[in-house]
Amino acid sequence: MDAITNLLKIISDFVAELIRSVLGFSPLLAELVVMGLAAVVLITFAALSFMGLTYVERKVVARIQDRLGPNQAGPFGLLQPLADGIKMFTKEDTTPATADRWVYNLAPLVIAVFALATYAVIPFAPGVVGTNLNVGVFYVLAIGSGSIVAILMAGWGSNNKYALLGAFRTVAQLIGYEVPMLLNVLTVVLVTGSMSLIDIINHQTLAEGNPGIPHILMLPLPALVFLISGIAETARSPFDLLEAESEIVAGFHTEYSGMKFALFFLGEYVNALAVAFIFSTLFLGGYAGPILPPYVWILLKAALVFFVFMWLRGTLPRVRIDQMHALNWKFLVPMSTVNLVLVMLVLKLFPTSEAAAQTFGGILVTPWVQALILLAVNLAVLFVSLALAARAARRFRQAEEEMIMRRRSANLATARA
Amino acid sequence: MTIQQLIFIALAILVIGSALFVVTTSNLFRGALMLIVAFFGIAGFYVLLDNGLFAVAQVMIYIGAISILIIFSVMLTRGMQAMIPRNAQAGSVAIAAGLLFLILLLAFGPFRLVVDLSGVPVLATLFRTESPRVLGGLPWSFANREVPETYIADFGRALVDLNQFLLPFLLVAFLVDAVLAGAIYIARQRKPAEVIAEREAIAKEEAEEIAALQPQAASPALPQSAVASTAEH
Amino acid sequence: MRTDFAFVGVMIVAAALLMGVTLLAAALLRPKKPNPAKLSTYECGMETVGDTWVQFRVSYYILALVFVLFDIEAILLFPIAVAFNALPLFAVLNVTLFILVLLAALLYAWRKGALDWE
Repeated sequence: MDAITNLLKIISDFVAELIRSVLGFSPLLAELVVMGLAAVVLITFAALSFMGLTYVERKVVARIQDRLGPNQAGPFGLLQPLADGIKMFTKEDTTPATADRWVYNLAPLVIAVFALATYAVIPFAPGVVGTNLNVGVFYVLAIGSGSIVAILMAGWGSNNKYALLGAFRTVAQLIGYEVPMLLNVLTVVLVTGSMSLIDIINHQTLAEGNPGIPHILMLPLPALVFLISGIAETARSPFDLLEAESEIVAGFHTEYSGMKFALFFLGEYVNALAVAFIFSTLFLGGYAGPILPPYVWILLKAALVFFVFMWLRGTLPRVRIDQMHALNWKFLVPMSTVNLVLVMLVLKLFPTSEAAAQTFGGILVTPWVQALILLAVNLAVLFVSLALAARAARRFRQAEEEMIMRRRSANLATARA
Repeated sequence: MTIQQLIFIALAILVIGSALFVVTTSNLFRGALMLIVAFFGIAGFYVLLDNGLFAVAQVMIYIGAISILIIFSVMLTRGMQAMIPRNAQAGSVAIAAGLLFLILLLAFGPFRLVVDLSGVPVLATLFRTESPRVLGGLPWSFANREVPETYIADFGRALVDLNQFLLPFLLVAFLVDAVLAGAIYIARQRKPAEVIAEREAIAKEEAEEIAALQPQAASPALPQSAVASTAEH
Repeated sequence: MRTDFAFVGVMIVAAALLMGVTLLAAALLRPKKPNPAKLSTYECGMETVGDTWVQFRVSYYILALVFVLFDIEAILLFPIAVAFNALPLFAVLNVTLFILVLLAALLYAWRKGALDWE
């Protein structure tokens, strides 16, 4: 039983020990080889899950839309990713004659590298994590800016108006939705008191003196906003404005084909999966869970989150660019900010530790009571903001209707005269 | 030489090389990209200084925000075709920067000027060792100090401590507010006539600048191609 | 702490190498028969007119500036969040003031129409 629970840890420890004993004469070299191997394993995992996910997503979206999806290559179309891979490898790749060659060719590499770099901190099981940074979540948020740079490189390097416009629109979207993401990760860090992803999981794990409440139960609003902004950050439907073919063709990767296009595609999926992993870690308790081994739990949770992504993609229509910006700056950001302030005040007024209550005052409560108060505050903020937004929308609609009516009567008057 | 020194030297070469590229290139966009590379190298320095928080903050602020701002503002300018490839002030700025660097080198560098006890300035060499908490002859209270495990929480506490950084912390908020208000004021909607008048003035100025450049750039035999090459830069 | 980041460096190098090898392999495998039409800029079959460097709207710049504002806010709030359990109420009120001042900036930008995308 123990062997199954710790399977990943046992294997990785064994391999690391093996390499260390073989290369024992030079500990530095041995460490480098161990780290390199771990990196290769993580990258392979990400690349393979990218191949698998392209198939699964096409199948799932097809079923939602009452289609069959890929069904020609192999049984149930299972060999489709392989066929796509062969096609990508052997497709002719054109570089526009007017392109800035260096920038154009480096952009797909940069986006793939930064997408993969996120996996360095994702914990898969106790002790099985690339590296446990004490700035973990912060690192995840920061490394995402690499893909912004890559998108600008692709847009500029292509020397194509559509690509440049698409890159600008995408970057405006990405930087916009990074703000609610930051603010809501901040609430999780507030509750946990640490930025390390391991500490965040431990805070949600049942242990002595710790009730192990998944953060989604005490912070449903940050979870929801994180999910929305995560989808927008990975430019997935319904926020896939860069794929608005009628306006800007294919956005920043208009000019790319073959393997370079595949790397953009890989970056997109690897990023989306990373968001699913981070969401599971921050709000669903990561690898913590009963009976099943931890690595199964984290994969199940991430798969569930990714399924939600696919579900939304199959269901929702694409939003308009002004609606997208309005949703972010006029709804998510103010709401998240107010929520952040309230969470801070709740945590200070209702501490769970006796020491904190004695030093700083406040009412001592149990963790469950604190979680309930947080939940109530979260839901109150959510419903008040929704009500305010609905009222604003109603007023806007009324004003518009009035204007139309006025114009119509004016037209009628001129027609009569 | 330890592996940390090796990484430091590699990062230093990266930062200096990309910084040199930034100041010498005439392609604004590539310059901005190399600036990002330099920012990355500086994030590496923070890691070597054992401050992961600042490294990540560097990536987040400078690469994720400031460089995007720079690229956006580059795109707001007129096209590069109209750009004069050389700045008239380049020479004097280079001299001033070089002098500043020399002063810094004399103050903190390996061959630094040290005022000894009798008040006579002497040139210290690379091999002269001083007490570990002295940097360039100046007492440097933070040199060689270990970074504690809890440095993130310490930093957070210091930010809101009345005796430490509370005032600067709050001032940052007002400063950023002022910046935003200023930017919105400058970027306000202008009347079309204003814009047209300004564009005409700019075009006239440009034509004059190009005309002034031409006699030096063009050889009398090939005036046509010289015009083309000036325009292409 | 430095050693924690070593893996990040290794990861970036390994990813760059592996992806670079993939690109190289594709470069060796694929056909290469360029012609001027293929290498022209894609514009739905039209000839490209003028410079790619069109002048962009200033609202992109303002959005980036609002983003910088919140980025700075978040950067400063993360260490405070880590230290939160050890902060007195006075400090928390100051942090609230800090956040509200920045929220005021957002509201100002909103009222001035800088957040509208027409």
